[in-house]
Amino acid sequence: MTVRQGGSIVIGAEQEPDCTDWIASCAGSIWGTFIMDIPTIPRVFEPKKVNGAWTPVATNVMASEPELTAGPPQKITYRINPDAVWSDGQPITSADFEYTALAIRDGKDVLNRTGYSHIAKVDTPDPKTAVVTFSTPYANWKGLFSDSSGLLPSHLLADKDRSALMKDGYSWSGGPWKIESWTKGASVVLVPNENYWGEKPKLDKVTFQFTADTAAAFQAFKTGQLDALYPTPQLDSIDQILSGLPNADSIVDPESGNLEAVWFNNTKPPFDSVTFRQAVSYALDRKAIVTRLYGALGVTEPAQSAHTPLVGRYGATDFAQYAPDLGKVGTLMQGDGWAKGSDGIWAKAGTRAKFTVSTMTGNKRRELTEQILQEQLRTAGFELTIDNTSAGDLFASKLPKGDFQMGLWTLVDTFPQPSLEASFSSSAIPTAANGYSGLNMSRIDVPGLDQVLDTAASTLEEDKRIEVSRQADKLLADSAALLPLDVIPNILLWNRKIGGPLAIDPARGPFWNLAQWGLVG
Amino acid sequence: MFAYVARRLLYSVPVILVASFLLFWAVRVTFDPLSKLRGGRDPGALARAAERLGLGQPIPYQYWRWLTQFVTGDWGVSSRTAGSVQGLILPALGTTLQLIVWGVLAAAVIALAVGAYSAVRQYSAGDLVFTGLSYLGVAMPPFWLGLILIQILAAWPQELLGLTDPPLYFVGLHSPDGGGPLDYARHLVLPVLTLTVGLVASWSRFTRATMLDALTSEYVRTARAKGVPKGRIVVRHALRTSLGPFVSVTAVDAGLLFGGLVVTEQIFAIQGMGRLFLDSLLTGDVFVLVPWTLVIGLVVIVFNLLADIVYAVLDPRVRLG
Repeated sequence: MTVRQGGSIVIGAEQEPDCTDWIASCAGSIWGTFIMDIPTIPRVFEPKKVNGAWTPVATNVMASEPELTAGPPQKITYRINPDAVWSDGQPITSADFEYTALAIRDGKDVLNRTGYSHIAKVDTPDPKTAVVTFSTPYANWKGLFSDSSGLLPSHLLADKDRSALMKDGYSWSGGPWKIESWTKGASVVLVPNENYWGEKPKLDKVTFQFTADTAAAFQAFKTGQLDALYPTPQLDSIDQILSGLPNADSIVDPESGNLEAVWFNNTKPPFDSVTFRQAVSYALDRKAIVTRLYGALGVTEPAQSAHTPLVGRYGATDFAQYAPDLGKVGTLMQGDGWAKGSDGIWAKAGTRAKFTVSTMTGNKRRELTEQILQEQLRTAGFELTIDNTSAGDLFASKLPKGDFQMGLWTLVDTFPQPSLEASFSSSAIPTAANGYSGLNMSRIDVPGLDQVLDTAASTLEEDKRIEVSRQADKLLADSAALLPLDVIPNILLWNRKIGGPLAIDPARGPFWNLAQWGLVG
Repeated sequence: MFAYVARRLLYSVPVILVASFLLFWAVRVTFDPLSKLRGGRDPGALARAAERLGLGQPIPYQYWRWLTQFVTGDWGVSSRTAGSVQGLILPALGTTLQLIVWGVLAAAVIALAVGAYSAVRQYSAGDLVFTGLSYLGVAMPPFWLGLILIQILAAWPQELLGLTDPPLYFVGLHSPDGGGPLDYARHLVLPVLTLTVGLVASWSRFTRATMLDALTSEYVRTARAKGVPKGRIVVRHALRTSLGPFVSVTAVDAGLLFGGLVVTEQIFAIQGMGRLFLDSLLTGDVFVLVPWTLVIGLVVIVFNLLADIVYAVLDPRVRLG
């Protein structure tokens, strides 16, 4: 569709970012990443689909693909595009690599040091070449300067208070857009970066208007106050879409980086038993659940891997073994000494097969999922009760302290490189000793899994990484350590006056190619 | 008068301090300022942030440290945004003030008119209609009312009249391109109306009750016996007598509204005090919540004072002291 140069659009944003100092702990808002970080901060790699799989591909910041020297020590040589400049005309240089790497590695208030803590030093043999040397092998090196943090301008930030200069918005840019204004509580306005060396934006201005209320946001979209929406796929959003949106187009993309799963507490009865976890897994009809949740959007297939589609090439389909099969449930339970009582519920030594499921109160999609689980499990002889709590209590206390039996939450990938070790390694189990940090809240400790995950995290050879990552998937599936449910689809809605190649990138969101958007005609 | 005001302010200090400590304590034990970091892949992030924010210290010590900074004029830094707390609260206060000024003005005028009419024509068809409507107004939750008003006054007229834009806007207080007074007014009508409906409903009932008291009082009966015209009796005697308690109620309600417009601000995407409270509460940002409480407490006290003063002006029998 042909689009013209010029014009402006207004996009609804569900959440306002807390700050724009992207490497500080006040950052981390996904909407901040979508609407200000990605459009203004240059990155070394970006996700692209290669042979049908999301793969990190070098961006136009690079003159060539960064070179890996396996070592030891492992080294990466970055050669910078001579045309790459900041919005003030200053070139993007190796000093920017050094500044960014050391600010993240050594800074006090840093959101995510993953990968950067492996960096021993950054050499800058010339302004357009940076060489990063690692102290220990780091397989996900492509995530550096790419995943949660891009490159920052050394000439503007070095020896200055970066937080003060960046947290409330900044006027410089190394991307196609600049932040013209950020009116707290109201909107963010982006305008083209005239000095951008790549494809320049077609629109003169893009405003992101913060609209937290879903119903009001959809009304604003229908009445033309908002030209595009990227709603969370909650039930009320789906209802709004199904009720019809005049003059609008949409994309529903099930290939996201968000995996919803049934998480078993692997150390708490009855889920400390592999047999019991397997029996529960065979009792569930996941396809029916996905169809109920997203069938109206055309999404019906359950997830069959612990890897999200964003890292899909590292995953397998081992969880497909858990198709609903009440016969297998009976065999497994009886083999483990359980027998059905007069009420139809399994029991063993006076203990009924009764357990709870926990998630955050108010999340209607998950509450509906719980009700379906309850129904399906009841049919199979299990009694499930719902024990929900606030998001704060769930993630700050209940899950880190292991005070749950079964839970529903989402595993999130933000870059097309596998990082199962962060969620499934036994060293990532939250304990009092580590201050209840770590993402392995299901307390998964499958024999042999740690070694496989360590190999996946440190192997630099890609084929080997894929092989061991798939082994990890198989170990997780065979032990029913968790049960993937669905990949939460991403939804983008836009008024037909907008044209251009509109598509959702599961890592960079829906506005990754905002420069190519324009007004039709 | 000055001594009275000073004494009232001084009495309020311990109340506000106790309230702020209780809030500080309650938020610290129930909400997690590190919640945002818990889903991250860097396990060290929690420890770094906890140390930076001093979360390992006992809660009374954390409160004392905050309080000693606050009394020196340092409002502190938000754990959520890393920005100045003052920079968050003052603009939000200004935004909410706009809603309240327009909402209270509109509601007061309508409530007085409706209440006076209902009292003068007690049990008439009009009174019964207004009574029914006021119960309806009190019963309508703002989250529902706001969305219904959007549909009726913005979406449907736009559709029926084939307009490019809705006649009334409902996202924020200004259009992205700024806009003048008309644009501001088009943004203001729906949130103010949402706020006004509930206020009119309760204030008109209050006015009706106080007016009825006044109209059946002995001095009104005397005035009638002396042949004072009915209009003059209603306006100069009954309504004026009712204004004192009415002003008290409106002032107290207006003060409370500063922190209570959470739903209205959420629906209409307005970053006022209500939304600031909600955002801060959900992220356990005690460093914003406690100054927020102090500011709201101060606003409530000031409005109560104003109510007392205006009451004294309207009713010469009342003496402050």
